[in-house]
Amino acid sequence: MGKAFVCTCDDVTVEEVRRAFEAGHRDLESVKRFTGFGTGPCQGKSCLALVARELLRLGASPREVMPFTVRPPIRPTPLGALAALDPAGLPLDDGVPLEPPPPAPGGPAPDRPPLPARADVVIVGGGIMGLSLAWELARRGTTDVLVLEQGYLNAGASGRNGGGVRAQWTTPTMIRLARRSLELCDRFAVEMGINVWFRRGGYLFLAPTREQVARIERNAELHVKEGLRTRILSPAQALDVVPELDASRFLAASHNPDDGVVFPWPFLWGYASRAEELGVKVRTFTKVTGFETRGQEVAAVLTDRGRVACGLVVNACGAWSKEVAALAGVAMPNRPTRHEILVTEPLKPWLGPLVSVLGNGLYFSQSQRGEIVGGMGDPAEPEGLVQGSTLRFLARFARAATDCVPVLAGVKVVRQWAGCYDVTPDNNPILGPARYANFHQLHGFVGHGFMMAPAMAELYAAWLSGGPKHELFDAFAVDRFSRGPVQKEDFIIG
Amino acid sequence: MPRLPTFAPDCHILLDGEPVPARRGEPVAAALLAAGKPLVSRSAKYHRPRGAFCLAGACGTCLVRADGLPNQRACRTPCRDGLAIDTQNAVPGARHDLLGVIDVVYARGLDHHHLMTWSRLANRATVAISRRLAGLGRLPDPAAVAAERAAGPVDEERFDALVVGAGPAGLAAAERLAEAGLRALLVDHEPRLGGRLRCRLDLPGEPDLDFAARAAARVTAAGGEVLLGTAVLGLWRDGGSPLAALHGDGPPPRLRLVRAARLLICTGGTPQPPAIADGDRPGVYGGRGLAAGLAEHGVVPGSRAAVLGAGPEADAVAARLASGGMEIERVRDPGGVRVLGRGRVKGLAVPGTGRVRCDTVAVATPPAPAAELARELGAPVVWDPALAAFALEVSPDGETGVPGLFAAGEVTGEMDGAVAADAGRRAGEKARG
Repeated sequence: MGKAFVCTCDDVTVEEVRRAFEAGHRDLESVKRFTGFGTGPCQGKSCLALVARELLRLGASPREVMPFTVRPPIRPTPLGALAALDPAGLPLDDGVPLEPPPPAPGGPAPDRPPLPARADVVIVGGGIMGLSLAWELARRGTTDVLVLEQGYLNAGASGRNGGGVRAQWTTPTMIRLARRSLELCDRFAVEMGINVWFRRGGYLFLAPTREQVARIERNAELHVKEGLRTRILSPAQALDVVPELDASRFLAASHNPDDGVVFPWPFLWGYASRAEELGVKVRTFTKVTGFETRGQEVAAVLTDRGRVACGLVVNACGAWSKEVAALAGVAMPNRPTRHEILVTEPLKPWLGPLVSVLGNGLYFSQSQRGEIVGGMGDPAEPEGLVQGSTLRFLARFARAATDCVPVLAGVKVVRQWAGCYDVTPDNNPILGPARYANFHQLHGFVGHGFMMAPAMAELYAAWLSGGPKHELFDAFAVDRFSRGPVQKEDFIIG
Repeated sequence: MPRLPTFAPDCHILLDGEPVPARRGEPVAAALLAAGKPLVSRSAKYHRPRGAFCLAGACGTCLVRADGLPNQRACRTPCRDGLAIDTQNAVPGARHDLLGVIDVVYARGLDHHHLMTWSRLANRATVAISRRLAGLGRLPDPAAVAAERAAGPVDEERFDALVVGAGPAGLAAAERLAEAGLRALLVDHEPRLGGRLRCRLDLPGEPDLDFAARAAARVTAAGGEVLLGTAVLGLWRDGGSPLAALHGDGPPPRLRLVRAARLLICTGGTPQPPAIADGDRPGVYGGRGLAAGLAEHGVVPGSRAAVLGAGPEADAVAARLASGGMEIERVRDPGGVRVLGRGRVKGLAVPGTGRVRCDTVAVATPPAPAAELARELGAPVVWDPALAAFALEVSPDGETGVPGLFAAGEVTGEMDGAVAADAGRRAGEKARG
């Protein structure tokens, strides 16, 4: 027979494209994520047209088959070369790529299943939060659930993050929640029937200043009390974990070997397909345009594809939650803030933990496929719902990463992109109903929603299904900001 | 006859420690093809034998470890005496890789999403094993990475125009800009001028390489600059005119930041691998890459080539390879064709025709427009059914609809070199304003 490849970088066959299409992935962005084509060292140059041709042959409409977003740099570039750029001289703007004008009408609309006229629960946002909640509700018996997603699955931050899952937090509540998520990640592949490549490689936080050392020591004490295996390491001990580190750049490190990384995308497919098996409806490329309210309730959700009457609405739109809440006339204090990230060429495994440098926001880990995936927050980043990529980020990351691990100078960046953190005033989430008794909020996770979602969804679904209400829902209700001063979570990375 | 007689080797590179004759400065891939050793690595998932395909710095199949740096393109790495080239992703070596068994065990393909999801124990083992197997090259040798560091500081430079691509369209556009006294920066990622003209296919109406040299001289005479072996990494927007970052191959590598009031995208096309059964075997190459290798390095990649594709360019590729002494088979329709052989092409199984014996396959189907740079700035593309690829949509004068951004040539779907040069001229004139 022989194998026929559309992508030789990642060995993606024509047959795999057919399977992806049959599984409902019809647009190039989704097929890219499902098959992995276009993410290797050729950066999509040799495969994009071949896959598009195959999808058209399978029956996708020309409107669905638009090229996936172009990602700079368009040639693999060593971090050592990019480190020559001075970030201070480079602008922090909305970045590239710019949106092309919308395609001219003409092609037939994708055949999408219709929206129901009514659903007991409408979840707005088909990210990890919304989909995990849909699954947790469905398995507790609430199956008349509709999830609305404005793009493809994984279009938002759930598909754009680095996949880190850690228990090293600063409050017992967050530690317990994250530890539960780690357990659920560990079971996900078998329980949900799709691989998420969960690997407990640990998290290694590097503390470059005395203040940071005091901070990780304080945290480690709490971690141990909570049963974590966190240890404070000297630079020499940290070299045992990652021999390639420049040990002169930090004073101590905090290491929990049980933290881990996952491959984010299949979580969404896993939750969505299992939830759909139980009767949940997931509708992609459907944009919420407003809400119909009656007295103290939201009566219906309005979309660009029609109206859906509802019993209860959950706003789980991540960085878009503020916009969506505003459609119901509800003000939210969230500040969506871009966060940039990149990925390198695939290398043989060499890096065990996710490494993060406290203070400058740098973090990176090695993915299951061998790429270094890393990001770095920019203190100058203003509030804004933008997802473009900047050269400034490449320069900042290159300098910080090659300072931390000098040998990275010889490792090439193949792709950069950005997602939005959903930032709240106290870096804690916003949960529970807001203004309307049935208008629930599930957002404000400040770049850590992905790792919190599995455990968070369990608690939320239990409460909505008549079970116990966890203290989190009172602690993190939106009215806390009007009640008085709030305590800020300060262990946010990136 | 691995080489034309006028191209005698003058040094040796080391392939997994074994000396291979080479010519100083030619790409490693040229030396390996001439030596009859196209196999350089095993593929990511199935550990299939892989060698260079496009020979044009675009695809990802010729990655090797070069002097301690992983995943270097053999088609872009220049030879010098003693250069250590190591094959990648194989145990113990790419020729005899024990992990090649994966391709046999998963003959019908491997569904990584649902692999071993029936048992936690099996799943954990799978995650651990697949991590061990993943990745291509090993981490760089610490001593080698200095070669990848570019010197700073990098100051922003200004030009009247940046022309990306020194093929017929880019050359013609840059010449027109220079004629108007504009300072243009003409840049190409290949180490030589000419784009597709380097293949010497001598298609009707196509300009020759003298034209390339003349156009380049004009650019320089007008105060502009011609930069070869330099890739434009991207166009980042920045309030006014976009900022381009350029990466020169070196050694030493050089990074430059360029701001130009006009951008002309003449980046041509990317060779497309044939999505046919076993079309990834070493010995299957882009036709243009083979023609350029023959013209510039005298490389004759085998004794018998099957040329895949129809039309004037496929005819010209066949004629060029024949002029190098190869026997030629023509397969005009790639549909249903299967490649025979494993570590090296041995022939083709062609529906209706049967078995065609060959040791080389030259893919002469149209390349896909390399529209990435223009798309970064929001220029729209359309699906071109004849090309079976996305092409930039431009006005007859090369306007993309994005202010200051023009495009001409193959990147717009224009496959005729003579017409591409005309389009480049018009775009250059329009960009002069």
